[in-house]
Amino acid sequence: MNLPFTKLAATQKLENALLVSILFFIFKIFFPLQDSTIIILINETFAFLAVYFWLLYIVSIIEFKVKSPLAIVLNAGILNALLFFIIAVSSSVLTEDPAFSPGTGFLYVLISSLVSFVFIAGNVYIFAAFRELFFLKQKRDPRSYFNVMSLFIALAFIAQVLEKLNDSLDFLTDTFFVVSIVLITVNSLRVAWIAFLTKRQKLYLLIISVVLSILFGINFYLTFESMLVNQVILNFSYGLQMFFSLIMIYGTIYFGVIFFTTLFHLPTAEAFDRKAEEVSSLMDLSKLITEVFDFKELADTVTTVTNKVCNSESSWLVTKNNNEFELISVNNIGFVEADKITEAILRPGESDITELKITSSREIKFVASDDLKSANFSSIAAAPLMLHNEINGYLFVGRKSDFEFDEEDQKSISAFADYASVALENAKLIEKSLEKERLEKEMDVAREVQYKIIPNNAPKFKDIDISFFFVPAFEVGGDYYDFFELPDNKLGFVIADVSGKGISASFVMAEVKGIFASLSKMIESPKELLVKANDVLKNSLERKTFVTAIYGVFDFNKGNLTFARAGHTPLYHFHEGELESLTPEGLGLGLDYGDLFSSTLKEMEISFNYNDIIVLFTDGIPESQNLNGEEFGYEKLKNIIIELADKPIQEITNEIMKQVSLFAKDNSQHDDITLVIFKKVKNKKDGVI
Amino acid sequence: MVDFSVDTRGSEPVQIIDVKGYLDAHTAPELEGVFNKLIDEKKFQIVVNFSDLTYISSAGLGVFMAYVETMRENNGDIKFSNMNESVYNIFDLLGFPMLYEFYKDEKEAVEKFNQKGK
Repeated sequence: MNLPFTKLAATQKLENALLVSILFFIFKIFFPLQDSTIIILINETFAFLAVYFWLLYIVSIIEFKVKSPLAIVLNAGILNALLFFIIAVSSSVLTEDPAFSPGTGFLYVLISSLVSFVFIAGNVYIFAAFRELFFLKQKRDPRSYFNVMSLFIALAFIAQVLEKLNDSLDFLTDTFFVVSIVLITVNSLRVAWIAFLTKRQKLYLLIISVVLSILFGINFYLTFESMLVNQVILNFSYGLQMFFSLIMIYGTIYFGVIFFTTLFHLPTAEAFDRKAEEVSSLMDLSKLITEVFDFKELADTVTTVTNKVCNSESSWLVTKNNNEFELISVNNIGFVEADKITEAILRPGESDITELKITSSREIKFVASDDLKSANFSSIAAAPLMLHNEINGYLFVGRKSDFEFDEEDQKSISAFADYASVALENAKLIEKSLEKERLEKEMDVAREVQYKIIPNNAPKFKDIDISFFFVPAFEVGGDYYDFFELPDNKLGFVIADVSGKGISASFVMAEVKGIFASLSKMIESPKELLVKANDVLKNSLERKTFVTAIYGVFDFNKGNLTFARAGHTPLYHFHEGELESLTPEGLGLGLDYGDLFSSTLKEMEISFNYNDIIVLFTDGIPESQNLNGEEFGYEKLKNIIIELADKPIQEITNEIMKQVSLFAKDNSQHDDITLVIFKKVKNKKDGVI
Repeated sequence: MVDFSVDTRGSEPVQIIDVKGYLDAHTAPELEGVFNKLIDEKKFQIVVNFSDLTYISSAGLGVFMAYVETMRENNGDIKFSNMNESVYNIFDLLGFPMLYEFYKDEKEAVEKFNQKGK
């Protein structure tokens, strides 16, 4: 329902209200007496419009204020007291003055108008205040109830006027008056907002409401009884008198209802306060969980609010890691004491407490040693921090007063424990992701090291084609290969794999590169070189780290290859249609630093003829896995080499890498993959690959 | 990914470690923990049963290298048993058989310890 002028801005409403009021006043000056029907009608229309516009204005300004019900109540109360004061003063001082009888004098008009307008403003404000209170904390829109009531009040206003014009219409006035009171009573029952006040506010409201209810009653009585005011107002407007009395009745009933409702709410006020505090604490906590990464800080908040909400003296929080408890936060209790009580209650080694457990002082004394001063706790509650059926810690609450933890307390403690466990989990996840990030950075460094260490280009020899391929795993392995141009038309090469992964493996790899690069210039025999490398590594390798390697030297003058294998995957030699897997004996570097290494290492010499192929690789190829956990194996690798033996070696390399990646397509690559292929080509021109 | 688990059993003095699943850089610390515990308990005669091990990476191999010396210094050893072929091949390529004793069956390995003990 949209009444006219409701959409205007507040200032325009004020302008309208003032305009009507001034016109009304001017009208009053010219026609102070209501002595004809037409004057009565115009007079009452002015009165009605004045009430209406003032109401519109005041409703709109009240809406801008903070919706604190007590403030609204207080405002209405003060205005009501003002009206009471005017009535009381005028009754005692002015009643007896015969000169001040209704008349046409300007003074009379002025004073009566002033009094009436004060009454209009006061009553309209009170009515607006009631309207505001009425809509507070209402879930469904109750507008129609209020509007119907307002309509009947307006009808009672009009009926009062009509009655003046025609006495036989008094039944109308009575009817609308009674219906209005019934509606006022019904609407007065909407006082849901009382429940949301704190206990103190309720006590305050209780006192105010009883005073105001009585005051409104007195005012109602006086507007009829006080001859002067009654006369003044009646003379001013008949309808207004009806309006004022209805508002006074409204006030009496409304504050009466408020009084009794508040009275009935009082016993539960404390529980309500506590619940409200718990809810707001939990809301604060859940906000903290997303904002605070430091679990310690959160734990402090948890113990503090737990104490506050549960009316307990002490609270502390322990976390559980691998069956070890760690005190994270204490509130109003010493670390040592909290530790002792924790131990006494949890009794490490015994089965976990999986539900909230209350321990009474007698039990505490029984389980704890004598020197424990905790005896002055009457009871201690321990709530597990459970998540995914796993206990991550406990929240302890100690109370010194004789009141046991009731069901409400226990529920709150459990709720706070649940929040703490979520927060703890969250903090762990964040730590994990930070750790992951750190690891990724580390891997980036390791990968960079690796790329710098391995050669980008193969040396160019006229008799040999060299192809290689290297794919680092996410967690960088320690693969390494290198070529060394040696005097007398010789080419040295190494392929190596450091055990382990990550930055430590890449450091070892860097060292290995240094060792091979320098030894290759000094030692010709692959076996001797590896023995020497093992000796050097002795001083730097961790016990659990080892390096597998093959070192070999092509002698193009003699047409042969000499190599030794230190624990590395086989060297494949393709020769005249056959592929031979060569694994001369040899321990991995770092497996043994004694004589065994050199005594078991065998050097092998093979011929290296036209179209012969040598394939070197690391275990990343045969150990590539698909999602079923099957390995690529050695056979597939061999078959590809045999099949493509007469093709350029770049094609062989590509095919191997293609097959490996197809095989392990959906699985992540666990280890570095390195592949190096040599092929003897006789008719190659210098400088061309 | 296949999980890894490790258990110890056996009466004194020979302890048997059962390794199951996938032993790599990520699961190796679990096995290290078991070895540390055995050393704390002064149990140096160890047989590792590989019957349920599906994969071992270089980091997994490194665990044995890290502890074998301590065991041997204390009159003990780490012996391997019940290895399937593919796992044995990895050990073999590295030359482990020249440094460690491998047995088809766990019992043989335990007996070997007991013979020595007498």
